[in-house]
Amino acid sequence: MHELVLAGGTPFSVQLNLLTPLFDGIANGAAYGLLGLGLVLLYKSNGIFNFAQGEFAMIAAIVTYVFDSGTGVLPNLPFFVAALLGVVAGVLVALITERLVIRPMFNRAKVILVVGTVGVALLLIGVEGLLPYPKTEQLPDIGTVLGVRPYVAKVDQIPIADQDVAKIVMLVVLAIAAYVFFRYTRTGTAILAVSQDSTAARVVGISVERISAISWGIAGLLGGVAGILLAVPPQGTLTPGAFTGSTLIVAFAAAVLGGMTSLPGAFVGGMGLGLIEAFANADAAFVPGLRSVANGQAELAVFVVLILVLLVRPRGLLGQES
Amino acid sequence: MTQLLEVEDLRAGYGSVPVLQGVTFSVAEGETAVMFGLNGAGKSTTVNTIAGLLKTWGGKVTFDGEVISGLPASEIVKRGVSLCPEGRRVFPQLSVRTNLELGAWTNRSVQAEQLERVFGYFPRLEERSAQMAGTLSGGEQQMLAIGRALMSKPRLLLIDEASLGLSPKLTQTVFQVVDQINDDGTTVVIVEQNVGVLPYADQALVMQKGTITFDGRGEALAKTGDLRAAYLG
Repeated sequence: MHELVLAGGTPFSVQLNLLTPLFDGIANGAAYGLLGLGLVLLYKSNGIFNFAQGEFAMIAAIVTYVFDSGTGVLPNLPFFVAALLGVVAGVLVALITERLVIRPMFNRAKVILVVGTVGVALLLIGVEGLLPYPKTEQLPDIGTVLGVRPYVAKVDQIPIADQDVAKIVMLVVLAIAAYVFFRYTRTGTAILAVSQDSTAARVVGISVERISAISWGIAGLLGGVAGILLAVPPQGTLTPGAFTGSTLIVAFAAAVLGGMTSLPGAFVGGMGLGLIEAFANADAAFVPGLRSVANGQAELAVFVVLILVLLVRPRGLLGQES
Repeated sequence: MTQLLEVEDLRAGYGSVPVLQGVTFSVAEGETAVMFGLNGAGKSTTVNTIAGLLKTWGGKVTFDGEVISGLPASEIVKRGVSLCPEGRRVFPQLSVRTNLELGAWTNRSVQAEQLERVFGYFPRLEERSAQMAGTLSGGEQQMLAIGRALMSKPRLLLIDEASLGLSPKLTQTVFQVVDQINDDGTTVVIVEQNVGVLPYADQALVMQKGTITFDGRGEALAKTGDLRAAYLG
């Protein structure tokens, strides 16, 4: 291990300071990627940014919590059953959003639909606030649920958390599943067709309404899985609007960085931004005293990289030319 | 001769603006009908309403003895009516082959057989089957749009502005293929502004201001002044 001593006499480990942000970056990147995946799916299918995606995730997390802990008159169910109900709730909320907000405005300008999703997000945050559950609670992490140690392994004394591994595995599985769905299934192809020209899709006999419901249902499912994996210790919370207020904005940036039309791009963009953020933050730890001088370098780094990538490659890293 | 398509006092429009003011005509099975008229006469509105893309305000459309007006577009395609829309409207970021396969969305059992048929009419599409549809030339996109409409094996093919934006030579090629499609048993209704299609027409229709002002045999239209009146007033 290399030890350096600064002028002030503070020793630190170069190796330690590279591994910590690496693991943190991958873990946070998985969170951005998970939310970003749902965003990309709806962009591919409807051509809109869905600002309600964070709340689909939060509803799923809340429903999982209340059934897992048996809040009020609800039964105390095994975690995985509660999680299944949570995902179902995420899908239902997404389907209701599609039926009551998106479908009636289907032929309106896309910007109106986007504003509609902002309205849905705000409405859901309000509804969550009214629900009787402890708002500061968290969901158990996967290690607690399975009754195993909280980390898979340690590298140079730094634990690799079970939950982070679960997030990454789920992100990879969902990204591959979504890619295969669009590439190889008729319904996936129909979703792409509707997104490219909904009138032409009607002409060949595709029910645009049914396809819209399917894509929103899948977005709800992706959001639900993301919510259950993200509302865990240490940073996760069940506070209404928490995902929308923090993770969703970076997830949008991740989806744009990866390419809004590319599902694997959500993975790449999420990981990329997670790592940039973590290393930019690590810089403050790396140079003692920097944090007292500069703050917000992570956010700055994320958006500087995003703008640079978009200037050089406007369609994002893996996006297709449109 | 059996009437395959019967349109009776059809009324439709956009928003609160009426376009079709009571359109009535019928097309016999196995024939090619050509509908002429100026821009805004209601030709596209008529075929779009028949195909279920626009709501029927009044009147009815009967296909093979059954009323289809009011049914969703997907159901109308299933029953054997297919539209090749104005402006081609191919799926630009999907391959030629995928565009064609989507044409058989409602009738997957005929996909392989129809794909062979379409490639027979348009060998160029087979050569370019892996290419993105958006990268095709205008003429090739028109071929793809007609081919896609044939993929569901329709009994009635509606073609809106087949020659729009095509060179005279390519226009003739498209008209000849449409004639071949008709000879192979598909009833065709073509909306056109190009009178060069008239030799291929069994029946001619002229539309003015949302109504049919001429309905007769193709050769009869050439002799009357109705076509001149429709275009020159």
